[in-house]
Amino acid sequence: MEKSHLFRAERLAAGYEEKTILHDINVDIPSNKISVIIGSNGCGKSTLLKTLAKLIKPSQGEITLDGKAISKIPPKKLAQLLGVLPQSPIVPEGITVADLIGRGRFPHQSLFSGWSKKDYEAVAEAMEMMKVTEFADLDIDELSGGQRQRVWIAMALAQQTDILFLDEPTTFLDITYQVEILDLLTDLNKKHGTTIVMVLHDINLSARYADYVFAMKQGQLLAEGAPEEVITDALISDIFGMECVVIDDPVSHTPLVVPVGRYHSTVNLF
Amino acid sequence: MTKSMNNFVVSGKKSDFHLPKNFKITLIVLVLLLIASIAASLFFGAKAVSMQDLIDGLFYSDRDSHGANIVRKRVSRTIFALLCGTALGVAGALMQAVTRNPLADPSILGVNTGASLFVVFGIAYLNITSANQYIWFALAGAALTAIFVFGIGSLGRGGATPIKLVLAGAATTAALSSLVTAIMIPSTYAMDQFRFWQIGSVGSGTWDNIMTFIPFLLVGLGIALLTAPALNALALGDEVASSLGVHPSSLRFGAAFGGVLLCGAATALAGPIGFIGLLATHVMRLILGPDLRFVIPMSALAGAIILTISDCIGRLLGSPGELEVGIVTAFIGAPILILLAKKSKVRSL
Repeated sequence: MEKSHLFRAERLAAGYEEKTILHDINVDIPSNKISVIIGSNGCGKSTLLKTLAKLIKPSQGEITLDGKAISKIPPKKLAQLLGVLPQSPIVPEGITVADLIGRGRFPHQSLFSGWSKKDYEAVAEAMEMMKVTEFADLDIDELSGGQRQRVWIAMALAQQTDILFLDEPTTFLDITYQVEILDLLTDLNKKHGTTIVMVLHDINLSARYADYVFAMKQGQLLAEGAPEEVITDALISDIFGMECVVIDDPVSHTPLVVPVGRYHSTVNLF
Repeated sequence: MTKSMNNFVVSGKKSDFHLPKNFKITLIVLVLLLIASIAASLFFGAKAVSMQDLIDGLFYSDRDSHGANIVRKRVSRTIFALLCGTALGVAGALMQAVTRNPLADPSILGVNTGASLFVVFGIAYLNITSANQYIWFALAGAALTAIFVFGIGSLGRGGATPIKLVLAGAATTAALSSLVTAIMIPSTYAMDQFRFWQIGSVGSGTWDNIMTFIPFLLVGLGIALLTAPALNALALGDEVASSLGVHPSSLRFGAAFGGVLLCGAATALAGPIGFIGLLATHVMRLILGPDLRFVIPMSALAGAIILTISDCIGRLLGSPGELEVGIVTAFIGAPILILLAKKSKVRSL
């Protein structure tokens, strides 16, 4: 099951209309690892993720998967290798959990084929993995935010891709659900060796769950590497434009960022 | 533990999974309604017929009574109504999926109005008179309008988004309607010819018209059934659709083409009949859920039933003449549309 892929972007530039958001970005996605893109609001992290996932056409540069330009790979074929969960997908009215997750099988079905044994198995496994099997018959609207997000991830899992991109999968969720979802994604990575690339807002959870971090500022890649190397006082202060102290996370022994701010500080920084 | 859960856990068992909950009962009810509507359409009308006339007309081509002949005429009319209803029901489902707008009617892309404009132009300046000519003018008008609307709707950021398509369709409809009026006003001849056609009637259901119509119906239905799984993916948003390997713009174009074909052909032969697509699809979606692989074929069935029954009602209410079916569907459809629009549950697909 565990398959390595070489996913690479070179001299990438992209944006909307006249406004270029990404400038000259070179990225090698570590295979079979969890990578997280961090950065402040509007730094282009979602744009980078979308460009890598072929949701936005780059104005410059090339993205290759195993040496082949992703623009040259037939869309359905690419969709068997690379899954993307965008930030705000649309929920059709009255759709059931099983129906929604089943739609993730589309790239594996041909024009005339119905549902195969493999399709059922993939959906069953995705539901089990995200612990939503018991909701199969429910309307999505009946679920809580955390459950709903698990259903969406299950839809992407049913696609059975070796690479999975997620755009802020934990945003708007309570901390309990954030941790739950990141745990489930880690299960997926450990069990299937799925390469995961995601944008996360919470920098401390990023530091804890990521094997590899891409730090962005103003459309450029500022630093990359293991969380311990990237998440330092200086770099985080630079990215977010705010004094921060990085300490050791007592639970995971990964970097923990503590913002300073103007009030309540007993730390003398100077 | 729920039933469908077991379907998944018993790995790979090819089961009822994905058959919507109410599918079987809905199918049975629709088939019964279909039979009832066909029977009613043959039996009821401006002139009363006896059971003997009905049997003679249907099964004994050599018995030549007045009643039997009326029944024979009603046969082609009924078939035509069924086919038109099918086309309009499926066209509605396609247009709604393409625009991701639950209230979309084929008229939303300006298709009806575009078809009307070309037919009026043909009548007023090119002296077209037969259904065979109408259909090509209507299709050309429908297609050009759809392309035009798509063109405008695709301008700017994000390509052809649902909201831009709806706005472009509304603006185009308004502009083309005024052109239709402008062509008609100076020409009493065109006005007369056009008037009956414009209201919409399946009274023109001759065997010739049916034969003209069938190829368009088949191609349109084929497109609808083949694009249904991809349209299901599109319902989750353009980005999810892309990530599932669908090219949203090409899919929209293909599915809209199917819708234009179905609605354009039906409009050419029967005149613009509104609300069928909206009603049939909406009711089916309420009962079956949003899976288009079921909603599309069932909307075809529902559309056929609604149009045939509406035609019956028109014949009974308008007796001794008849009330055109376009008026009947508008009367049934408009209040229901308002109800649906008022319901808070209606939101984007």
